[in-house]
Amino acid sequence: MQKIDLVDRDLFNPGHAACPGCQESLALRAILNTIGPDAAAVFPPSCGAVICGPHPYSSLQIPVFQTSLESAAAAASGLRRALNQRGKHDTTVVCFAGDGGTYDIGFQALSSAVERNENILYVCFDNEGYMNTGAQKSSSTPLHASTASTPGGKPSKKKDIIGILAAHGIPYVATAATGHMNDLIAKVEKSLTIEGTRFLAVLVPCLDGWGLPDDSGVSVSRLAVDSGMWPLYEVEQGHRYTLNHDNKTRPVADYLSLQKRYRHLDETQLAEVQAAVDQDWAQLRRRAAESTEARASG
Amino acid sequence: MTAATSPLWSNGSTAVIHTGTWRSATPTHNDLPSPCHQACPVGGQIARWIGQLRDGDVLGAWLTLVEHNPFPSVAGRICHHPCETACNREALDEAISICRLERAIGDRAIAEGWRYPEPTINRSQRIAVIGGGPAGLSVAYQLRRRGYGVTIFESQPALGGLLRYGIPPYRLADDVLDGEIARLLDLGIEARTGETIDADAFARLRAGYDAVYVATGAAKSKRLPSIDPARPWVIDSAAYLAETNAGGQPRTGHRVIVIGGGSAAMDVARTARRHGRDVTVLALEKETQMPAQREEVVEALEEGVQLVDGAMLQSVTEHDNGSLTLHCIRVDFVPGSMRGEFTIEPVAGSEFELSGDAVVPSIGQQADPAPFGGGDGPLLGVDDAFRTGLDNVWAGGDVASMERFVTAAIGMGKDAAEAIDRAMNPGTAAIVDAGDAVPYAAINTYYHPPLARTEAAVRPVAERVMGFDEVQLALDAEAALAEAGRCFSCGTCIYCDNCYLFCPDMAVSRLPDGYAIRTEYCKGCGLCVRECPTGAIQMRAGK
Amino acid sequence: MSSITNLADHQLLSGNHAVAWGARLARPQVIPVYPITPQSPIMEKLGDFHAAGEIDAEVLTPESEHSAMAAAIAASLAGARVFTATASQGILLMHELLHYAAGGRAPIVMCNVNRTVASPWAFWPDATDSLSQRDTGWIQLYSETPQESLDSTIQAFRVAETVSLPTMVCHDAFYVSHAMEPVALPDQALVDGYLPAYDPEHFVEPGRGESFGYVIDQATFNRTRRDLDEAMARVPETLEEADTAWRELTGRSYGVIERYRLDDADTAIVTMGSMAGTARVAVDEMRAAGERVGLLKVRLFRPFPVAHVRTALAGIGRAVVLDRNYSPGLGGMLHQELKAALFGLNGSTPAVHGLLAGVGGVNVTPEKIRQFVGDTTDREPQPQSLWVE
Repeated sequence: MQKIDLVDRDLFNPGHAACPGCQESLALRAILNTIGPDAAAVFPPSCGAVICGPHPYSSLQIPVFQTSLESAAAAASGLRRALNQRGKHDTTVVCFAGDGGTYDIGFQALSSAVERNENILYVCFDNEGYMNTGAQKSSSTPLHASTASTPGGKPSKKKDIIGILAAHGIPYVATAATGHMNDLIAKVEKSLTIEGTRFLAVLVPCLDGWGLPDDSGVSVSRLAVDSGMWPLYEVEQGHRYTLNHDNKTRPVADYLSLQKRYRHLDETQLAEVQAAVDQDWAQLRRRAAESTEARASG
Repeated sequence: MTAATSPLWSNGSTAVIHTGTWRSATPTHNDLPSPCHQACPVGGQIARWIGQLRDGDVLGAWLTLVEHNPFPSVAGRICHHPCETACNREALDEAISICRLERAIGDRAIAEGWRYPEPTINRSQRIAVIGGGPAGLSVAYQLRRRGYGVTIFESQPALGGLLRYGIPPYRLADDVLDGEIARLLDLGIEARTGETIDADAFARLRAGYDAVYVATGAAKSKRLPSIDPARPWVIDSAAYLAETNAGGQPRTGHRVIVIGGGSAAMDVARTARRHGRDVTVLALEKETQMPAQREEVVEALEEGVQLVDGAMLQSVTEHDNGSLTLHCIRVDFVPGSMRGEFTIEPVAGSEFELSGDAVVPSIGQQADPAPFGGGDGPLLGVDDAFRTGLDNVWAGGDVASMERFVTAAIGMGKDAAEAIDRAMNPGTAAIVDAGDAVPYAAINTYYHPPLARTEAAVRPVAERVMGFDEVQLALDAEAALAEAGRCFSCGTCIYCDNCYLFCPDMAVSRLPDGYAIRTEYCKGCGLCVRECPTGAIQMRAGK
Repeated sequence: MSSITNLADHQLLSGNHAVAWGARLARPQVIPVYPITPQSPIMEKLGDFHAAGEIDAEVLTPESEHSAMAAAIAASLAGARVFTATASQGILLMHELLHYAAGGRAPIVMCNVNRTVASPWAFWPDATDSLSQRDTGWIQLYSETPQESLDSTIQAFRVAETVSLPTMVCHDAFYVSHAMEPVALPDQALVDGYLPAYDPEHFVEPGRGESFGYVIDQATFNRTRRDLDEAMARVPETLEEADTAWRELTGRSYGVIERYRLDDADTAIVTMGSMAGTARVAVDEMRAAGERVGLLKVRLFRPFPVAHVRTALAGIGRAVVLDRNYSPGLGGMLHQELKAALFGLNGSTPAVHGLLAGVGGVNVTPEKIRQFVGDTTDREPQPQSLWVE
């Protein structure tokens, strides 16, 4: 049997306010405990920021600095620099932001922090929309998904945040999912060995926002991976692509059909989603293959 | 933790907030029976001992096995393994090779000389067991473990019954059987061999013992109406196997026709091949319908046994030179609803002939329950607790059941021992019904990536027909470990920590021997249930 | 103003470079900063200091003033002394985070170079940019000269860190930011003695067990504003103390407000920033002509020094407020703040004339000021501010 390689160091407290079965808090638990106690976290407003509190209680055993929605990466940069000044170069500064705070309103600050190669780990809990405010669309919302602000389905594709960050030449960028916990943990561990900006996008299916049963988050995230909707991969130095789960074994319908946000989909729309996923997958495989060849030829 | 003195800086822990009040259903860790366990004739806690094997605790695995069956080495070779048929893993890729694992553990025990734990109590009550075959040995063992004085009465010169006299050594080597029987007797069981118990002797045993268990088996071969059993070319199947198993080589002539489709027919046919005979099996059933285990049929064919299936003998013509012509006809075989029941429809105009020198009818065995109060019926009647109509007389195995499997007999012995124990000492706890088996749907197969079943090596055909060495070879320790790793452990907690680590609310705590739900925090999401790889957690409505 | 007696310890500096020197002497640990005209020379000078190894600070150059302020707040609440600078659109882009900084009680010091706010696009002196941020919870000081800007920058750290409030030092575009004068540079040791290392009660650091910025309930939020109010109330006396201590060390001080030739005046010109320098000349000229005119320079605008202003103006017949800023629908911000401050002074309340003078950087000469003051003699004071030129 495959075992989960997580050593829990009690860095995430019970009693927090996340919904039952919340994937974000699950991912947070794994990441916090993998990083360890010598860390400080930055949260912009998000589900995560709610899960942190409420005042005067904290669910995190490491210190948290909450900032404004646009400024996660900038605040993390400031925190990093201050800790450096205080001689805390080895302390990990980790940013936990939602997709709204990352793909949308926080993107400018993120791009700049990556450009400066700030020594921070930026984790985006990607639940593909503004879930904390009632499930409106973000630029991470996938094609045709229904949200409170796109009730007829979103007419445009999900933003390729990984590709964009890779184009910055970021030292390390990767995707992960709660359903592949060992992969997630390994990526956090790897990121801790790298100096500079590291970015991890973790797919955290939102049970309420996506219309899913409370116990299904982990398994649904696996379907996202198996269907190619959320491929697990990493890019080093902006160009070395590695596919961590080289298997697209299911049609997207297997994944979409479980979620209320896709309930309105007709056959044409389903085919469009499938075609887009197939195209992206082919491109990803090509990049991974090219990276392998490049490595082989030294 | 102290309350924050600053409205801006938080220094407490959310642990003071009890989110358990949100919950409407609660997970509970509760081991459930696995389908293999439910299918196992001895109720053998298979998931448990495979787990122990996987964890490297081979002795623990063996001790679990012998709780239920004193013959893991024997059963690991010849059991018809309904456990594997029931195995949930079959739905993913292939069933676990349970029998081979059992054999690996059993053989290790023999090699290491592991002994049974001494009975923890000694009772004054004495039990007589009539018949030293699988059922009798099983009941004797289980009763002795429970502290009873046990004496086995066996008409043959050695214990083992069918195991010794019916199963050829290429399926079950003598030293394996001897090893497991010797260890069993070491518990302090008295064995009186060469003593046949007739009606008078039975009456004396009833008078002299607190209870009697009848397990005389089904020693008599059934007869074919189409041939005269008195003819010299008609060979008794049981007698043939008894003689060959003892090292003899009965005179049969060169061309041997075996009639029957069961395990005994395969044993006779394959034994005759090893004696260099031309062997033809004539079976009513089509090849795939034959009651013999599939691998026995395949191995028989590999060894050069000719199979004429879906056909029936009508009559035999004897020739002056001693050779025979068998007049046969094709039949349509339709199995009935009960095991052993069937109807046949001869196919008109499909008559054909076979030539041979000897015929071995091997169509089954029948019991002789008469001396034990059984009357004229084919079986000794028993109730659910294996109690016969006579006071303090229990029975099991082939004398009381048409379920003609070795492990079924062992299981009946075990169940009867428990029933006898309860009858002799009413305070003994009754066995609780364990409930429904864990279905495949309760297993989270993400944690069990597809992995091919580890097949044991088989001796090459050319070597097989040269003698009586075992055909099926053992799994080595590494292969056994790999195969044990495939087990889903259905319904059994394997302390994998998934429930603990997949809880977003830190509401599962680890204990030295398992897990506890921290109900003050559990929000009742059910993720622990969903991510349990073995189906050992269930949601219960309410707090 | 101090008189210049010995120029040996002086350098000829622009107002912006004087601020950069003031920041350097305060030993900031983190400097997140984004360029904007006419602030950029501050950033560039600090960059030069950093490149030369003359300051031991983390200099962070993000993509916007918003991120600069976000980084500043985080760094400040992680226990670092933080300096930044901006102007005009930059401070407006920071607006959200100015509230965040004050609410978080982050004692950041920022120089704002007062410049017109678009649209239309322009670069001229006008304090609407920072004055429109008066409700964000920042302490605001307005500076008249490069020397004052340097001294105010150092004093600002002492005040900010004493009351845990962010503080901005504002000076006018070009008139102060780019005008050069001999500026006395205090010794580093002197400044170190004046401004001890920042040692906050709370800060983000592993092992301390405290986190910042969590969701709070209504009553606790209410308490944060009461706390803020108490801190604001302590600012005038804290500034006075800081200013006095600075005077003892350097001979220079500026007060919370400055009363210039006001003791026997019947008319007070009230203004801020570089306009105070022009008004000072006008006052001298009018005094020479026998007019009893004085100047009230408001250095501390937030918190508004109500008690100081009331004392300074009680019994003076007329106050002429010169506002180089404009709040549409309200008028001059100093004018309105001053009227509110004088409320209830009863018989001794001066007649307050609010003049919108020099809005958009229009040049206001001493002659014009004399004319503006003269024009008020036969005019009833109006509730609204009047456009003059």
